[in-house]
Amino acid sequence: METDNIYHGRPPFFKRVGQWFKAIPHRFNAYWRGVGKKFAGIPKKIAARAHITKTSPKPVKASMFLMGLGQLMQKQIVKGILFLLMFAAYVVYMALAGGRAMYDFFSLGIILANPWLGIKGDNSVVMMLLGILAFILTGFYIAVHLANIRDARRTYEFVARGNPTPNFKQSLGSMFDKYFYVTALVLPVVGVFVFNILPIIFMIFLAFTDYGGEVVTTGALVSWVGFANFKRLFSMSGLGSTFVKILGWNLIWAVMSTALNYFGGLGIALLLNKKIVKAKKIWRAFPVLAYAVPGFITLLAFKFMFSNQGPINYYIEQWGGVGKLFLGVDSKWSARLIGWIVNGWLSVPSSMLLATGILANLNPDLYEAAKIDGASVWTQFVKITLPFVIFATTPVLIGQFMGNFNNFGVFYFLRGGIYCDGYFLASDTDLLINWLYNLSINKNYYSLGAAISIIIFIISAVISLFVYVKSPSYSKEDMYR
Amino acid sequence: MNAVSKTDKYINKQIRRKKVGGKFTVKKFLEYFFTYLGLLIIAFIFAFPVIWLVLASFSESGSMYTFKGFFPSSYSVDTFVKLFTDTEMYDYPRWFGNTMIIAVCSALLGSLLVILTAYVISRFRFNGRKGIMKLTMVLGMFPSFMAMTAVYLLMTQFDLINQLWGLVLIYSAGAPMGYLTQKGFFDTISNSMYEAARIDGASNFKVFIRITLPIAMPMIIYTLLTSFTWPWSDFILPKLLLKNRDLYTVAVGLMSLGDTEFARFAAGSVFIAVPIIILYFLLVKYMVNGLTAGAVKE
Repeated sequence: METDNIYHGRPPFFKRVGQWFKAIPHRFNAYWRGVGKKFAGIPKKIAARAHITKTSPKPVKASMFLMGLGQLMQKQIVKGILFLLMFAAYVVYMALAGGRAMYDFFSLGIILANPWLGIKGDNSVVMMLLGILAFILTGFYIAVHLANIRDARRTYEFVARGNPTPNFKQSLGSMFDKYFYVTALVLPVVGVFVFNILPIIFMIFLAFTDYGGEVVTTGALVSWVGFANFKRLFSMSGLGSTFVKILGWNLIWAVMSTALNYFGGLGIALLLNKKIVKAKKIWRAFPVLAYAVPGFITLLAFKFMFSNQGPINYYIEQWGGVGKLFLGVDSKWSARLIGWIVNGWLSVPSSMLLATGILANLNPDLYEAAKIDGASVWTQFVKITLPFVIFATTPVLIGQFMGNFNNFGVFYFLRGGIYCDGYFLASDTDLLINWLYNLSINKNYYSLGAAISIIIFIISAVISLFVYVKSPSYSKEDMYR
Repeated sequence: MNAVSKTDKYINKQIRRKKVGGKFTVKKFLEYFFTYLGLLIIAFIFAFPVIWLVLASFSESGSMYTFKGFFPSSYSVDTFVKLFTDTEMYDYPRWFGNTMIIAVCSALLGSLLVILTAYVISRFRFNGRKGIMKLTMVLGMFPSFMAMTAVYLLMTQFDLINQLWGLVLIYSAGAPMGYLTQKGFFDTISNSMYEAARIDGASNFKVFIRITLPIAMPMIIYTLLTSFTWPWSDFILPKLLLKNRDLYTVAVGLMSLGDTEFARFAAGSVFIAVPIIILYFLLVKYMVNGLTAGAVKE
């Protein structure tokens, strides 16, 4: 009897991989069929749109033509004027700055700076930044324009049903009622666009230019260079080897630190959770104290503690030893170890608070049942506590891992400004994020820094997605309900 | 609570008392011994550096080199006096004021934006909601200060370098990105309460002000606290954007102190850490709730 293809539960891993590959042609076909269908549907959609546009009532058409006109025609004077003003503001912005900025975005400037002749050259990066800003503002404008058309249509239909035209006060009221979510989100969205998305888009573009090193100091024009920065990172020269070394250390660091923080926090929480512990609040106060002290103070204090003339060396010499440079150029592993422990000191308390909160939610009946079955304390921990805590905290675990992967502070404070042999502008404790800082903010290698950022992003995204999909809180959502 | 469960509880208590009151065996002794030993070690590890800093802040000479190991050779309160009077080189009161302005403004503005965002995303269903959630998740994966250069250029263009409120703007504009914790909290509030108010004719804005905000008080406190401590102890942005010595924040200022000003550093640190520590101890309940709300996936 052939039993190869009968499984209880999921097929084994290799089988699944095989099936995945086997299904590639099929998926490929299905994908393109889907795309083809979408394209085939486009003319129909356009026709439908055109029909709607053509048959629109006059005020709606007017609004399409000029923002606010439809509102004015429907006797909503204030609203119409407000829309018109917004339109005017956009036109003025485009005429004075925006149009120019969009053009400059593509050219990246043509006038070369020449201090001898007193010519102030074009600043390519600023042009790029303002160009992106112009595109984002245009996007906002389009969104407002569409909202204006929708508004005109809504008002028209409302009136056509025999209602009186809503006056300005009523329109304002609906902003705080029916459309409260729009009003509430305007500020956050604008803020995030300008201060988060715009800079990130800018840096992504910057990774494909040669802005850095001499280009910055001489004020030369910036040009597009394609993937040259990434090639340099993966080449075998000094830059490439630095990248590989730092990446390796960074991964080790992230795994080690997350493990220490997570299990350290869990351990303390479990210890405090024991029935025999009296005055839990007082015991808990010590880690909370560590949590409350601002991180940079702790880090600087530890730096002083391990410094050349610091207390640790004092005691070593007192007991007849020879003082060591714990954080000096040559002390690779001692510096790494100190960083690891210090980071634990900083982050264990927050894990502890989190674990305390989660343990409080754990159903005590489970333990009672386990005790009756004669399970040992260790079995209870492995079979009940750990799965539950991990289940509940997978998102946090990912967050902690990412936080440690990009942990800037620890080595910036403990060992900032040190460059080691065999590393290009970095020390052997530096993480990618520290290297990124050294390159771009200290040494003006902006485009390289941007390329590294993109690589960090890709690593973060892949790890997060992988861990998240594999995690129980994704695949067995209802386990503990 | 009904009578049956009360008696149950009483019986359980009796049983437990019987168990606990049993013989004090070696095994039990060891358990006590190691538990409390562990607690003592933990307490020592976490308290020691803090105690050391406090001691150092009362050192008389100020320089690191006169210390006998962890302990200053002689004590006085001069450092604290100097911290506030000797302001020529290191203008601590000024740094403190700057930090206060930045942190308070960013906390208020940032919390408002976070709470609004989280509430709207949790409560309303609208086009683009999923899109916004995915977008923030992707944006969160970029290294946090990858965008530093761009922000710096942007600030020079808007003429906000060396302006305290330029920093406030950046902190609060970035705050909504971390809305997930707050959303997790709002997700646990049942809709029926809102619906009741809506049926009574309250507008969504009123519901937000009258019902959501009072319910969300613990979360608001948590948000305020975290969005206060972030600018309070950040050093990267102020270092980048505030070039003028008079505009330094405490973090940047303390970083500029060397080994010989160790006591001043310690005193300055103690002085800014104390308010935060008091806040944390008063609000530790909210911290636990907040951390858990963001973590536990319901």
